[in-house]
Formats: sequence, C-alpha cells, structure tokens
Amino acid sequence: MTRTGARTMAGSEARAGAGLAAPAIVYFVLFWALPALAALYLSFTSYDLSGTPQWVGMENYRQMWANDEFWASVRVTLLYTVFAVGPTIMIALVVAVPLAKPGRLRAWLRALVFIPAVMPLVGATVLWQVIYSTGGLADTLAGAHPWLTDSGYAIWALLVMVIWKYVGLYVIIFVAGLQALPANVFEAAAIDGARALRTFFLVTVPLLRRTFTFVIVVAVTGAMQSFVPAYLLTKGGPVNATQVLPLYLYNNAFSYSRFGYASAIAIVLLVALLVFAFTQFKLIRSDEE
Amino acid sequence: MRISRALTTVALIGFVALMLLPLYSMIVLASAPDDSDLSGLRLHGFALFDNIGQIMTDGRFPRYLLNSILIASAVSVLDVAISAAAGYALARLRFLGRAALLNLVVIALSLTPAVVMIPVFVALSEIGWLNSYQGLIAPFLASALGVFLVRQFALGIPAQMLHAARVDGAGELRIFFLIAVPLLRPALLTVLLLQFLAQWDNLIWPLIAASEQELWTLPLALSSFEGEHGIVYHLQTAAALLSILPPLALFALLQRYYVSGLTLGGIKR
Repeated sequence: MTRTGARTMAGSEARAGAGLAAPAIVYFVLFWALPALAALYLSFTSYDLSGTPQWVGMENYRQMWANDEFWASVRVTLLYTVFAVGPTIMIALVVAVPLAKPGRLRAWLRALVFIPAVMPLVGATVLWQVIYSTGGLADTLAGAHPWLTDSGYAIWALLVMVIWKYVGLYVIIFVAGLQALPANVFEAAAIDGARALRTFFLVTVPLLRRTFTFVIVVAVTGAMQSFVPAYLLTKGGPVNATQVLPLYLYNNAFSYSRFGYASAIAIVLLVALLVFAFTQFKLIRSDEE
Repeated sequence: MRISRALTTVALIGFVALMLLPLYSMIVLASAPDDSDLSGLRLHGFALFDNIGQIMTDGRFPRYLLNSILIASAVSVLDVAISAAAGYALARLRFLGRAALLNLVVIALSLTPAVVMIPVFVALSEIGWLNSYQGLIAPFLASALGVFLVRQFALGIPAQMLHAARVDGAGELRIFFLIAVPLLRPALLTVLLLQFLAQWDNLIWPLIAASEQELWTLPLALSSFEGEHGIVYHLQTAAALLSILPPLALFALLQRYYVSGLTLGGIKR
C-alpha cells in the first residue's frame, strides 16, 4: 500500500465518519445542547411566552426557596421516590430468586410477571383509574375508601399502582443477573450446608452488587422524573398531596405560563439528578477499587 | 426439600395471580355491556366486540390510533437510522467531530427531558411547529440511548472483518451498509422497539405540543376519554385495552432484544 493510498483511505474514513455522524450531531445540538443552555438562561428570567424574557437574576430561585408549595412538592417527590423504589426492589428480588431457577412453569411465570411492565403506562394508569373509582376493584378488595380524593390515601394509592407497574421489570433484571452468576458458588454453599436464607444474604446479595447499583440508579432517576401516574390519577391533588416535582414544573409552565420559574424548577430537578448520579458513580468507583 | 420447593411454587403462582388480577379485571370491564358493575370481577355479559365497534365508529378514536401509529413508526425508524450511522461512526471511524458527538451523547444521556422541554416548546412555537406532525416527531428524531447502544454493540464487531473489506477496496459507506448494518441488527431492533414503545406511550409532549384534536395520539385520547355524559368506564377500558395490544404484540415478537436492552449494564462485570 502506498503512502498516498493510506492517506486517501484515512480521508475517506474521515469523510464517511463525519457524514454518518452529521445528522446525530445536528440533532443533539438543536434539541439537547442549545435547549439546555436556554433552560439555564430562562431560569434567570421572567417569561410568559408573549414578549421577550426579562432578566430577573436569582429571583426565581429565591421565590422557590420561600415557596411552601415547592417544598411540599419536594417532600412528595422524596416520599414517592423512596416508596416507589424500596418496596419494588425488595419484592422483585425476593420473587426473582426462585423464579430464576430453570423449569418450564417458571419460564411461564417469568413471562407473565413481566406483562404489566410492558404495558404502556398511560393505558395501565387509565385501568387503575377505574380500579380506584367508586365501586371499583379497590373498593371490592379493601372496602370503600376515597382512594384518590383524600390526601391521606392518594399518594399511597398512586404508589401501589407504580409498584405493580414496575416490579416485573426489576424481577426480569434480577433474574438476568442471577442467571449470569456462576452456578458453582451456589453448589459450594449447598455442599457447605448453608441454609437458603444464609445463602441469600451471604452469597446471592453480595454477588448481585452490580445489578443492584444498576437497578437503583434506573429506579431512582425514573421515579424522580415520574409524571404520568400523578398527572392522570390525581392531577397532583387533593390539595397538592401528589404534586411531584415534574408535575409542579408542568403546572407552572403550561397552566400558569411561568416559563422562567418552571425552568428554574427544571434546573433544580436536574441538579438533584446529577448529584444522585455522581454519588452513585463515586460509590461504584470506590467499590471497584 | 421437595415440600419447600412446592410451597415456593405455590407462593410464586399466588404472586403472579395477584399481579395479573388488574389485567383480568381490565378484560372484564372492557367486555361489560355497561357501567353498572365496576368491580371487574364477574362478567355480566360479553360485549367486548360491540364496545370496540362503538369506539371505532363514534368519534375520532380511529384518527388518534392512526396518529399514534404514524408518529411512533416515523420516530422509531428515523431514530434507528440516525443511531445506526452515528453509533457505528463513533465506534469504528476516526473523523473530525467524533469527540464532539461523544460529548453531546453524554450530555443528552445525563440531562432530564424536563430541562429541554420548555426551550424546545418555546422554539417550536416560534417557528410555528406546534400542532404539526413535524413538531411531534422532530424532538425525538434520535436518542442518546440509541446511539449509545449501537456504539457499544459496534465495538464488538471483529476488526478483521472491516479491515478485510477495506483491503478488498470497499468504500466506507459500502462497508457500513453491507457489513456493519446486518451485524448490528440485534442492537437496531432493540432501539426500534424501545423507541416505538416510548413514543406509543408519550403523553407529555403531545399534551403540550398538540392542542388541536386532529393531532391527538392515543395517550391523549385515553387521558381525556369522555362520552356525552362524562366518562364511560367500560368504553374507556376497552380503548385502554386496545392501546396496549400493539406494544404487547411487538414485544412478544422482539422479546429477546427488549430484555437484552433492559439488562444492558446490569449484569456485565
């Protein structure tokens, strides 16, 4: 191969690469990078879509800090995240351990348990709207209660639905993780006479560390951004009892046209997500060292 | 040992039955002739097909269904095309702008869509793209996850294969289309499925960007499903049931890829 040949080859590689990447570069600049900068800018302005954004400095953030509705929304989001993630992961793990074992029946059960997770969320939420309506399935099973209209019940009713919707997803991820574990470790534990519970806590859980990290990151970031169940089931009510942060953001932007303030909420949400991701990343790194 | 295994099996079946109870009740409700019993436990008559017929003939439901199919298909196909090209280029080609693209993908992966939603809304409203198909499609043309998945997969293509083709004098684009794309098929199907499901289920963007009912999609239609006298639960449930069938069918077809896409990163060590 001559030198010129090599050079044209590198040239054609560069041209092809740039050509193949161009649509993606344009897309990510137009729909992610620039909007992210614009969101940061808007968060320092007062803007209602008519006219131009007015620079107000830290005013949106100051208002947020002093706003009870914002803090109520933060509390609801934390409660929602903790109780959507914790029980879901625990139930999923307990179910996944026996489900991961081979067998035709278990293969069927694995497929069935996954169905709610594959259902479109909107269709599933509409179903739960009927379940929680007066005379619905929830009333039949647990007695009549104002499931979605009492601020004491609404958030828990929401959480039951969310746990139902996502538990199958984490069952499948845990099953995949369990099936990837080396069988001889469990054989060794069995030969040593370890009981099931002991094996579970001393062998299975530590070996699944990486799966845990993955599941927790996915579940927490997903829960913190969750919008659809709260929007569809309760519209954030009653008395803001289910107004999670993404819904608070949506209401401010698209119900009250407070685009500057809503952008500030978006930035706060983003920072919270990044802090969480960064902490997780640190933990993983220290774990691997 | 055998007894404990049998007990575990019974407990598992009980758990799965509990998980499927809402689905069973969905089918009962969707099949009910009227709204007289909402508990969804006992069938009083089987009117599922009448209900579906009513949904499909009264009102604009067929239009919403068509919009959903159109938008979800367009978005997922375009995402696959753009992600395939960019993911392959990132993994296997050296070019000017490669570092920039990688940075952009990482930025997009770490940002929440909520952050870019407002500026994109404002921009599309400025150029008059609200209430248009392009306004519903453009923000989802490509996905960071798609590019990322394809890139990870493309890294696994044996280098000798690409090298041999180069020595044979094949051009870079030819190599991409004739060698890489067929090898990338599992990754591309994963991206297709994930994006189709995401768009089929997309509520917030059409809610914001499509105020005209002509452009409504299924999620919007379901979320404000009202008959002449308020919500008609049996029809609404039948509509919800209809809306979950295409994704379930697609999932059944491409299950392998879907699960591998979901568990990516979770188990490799």
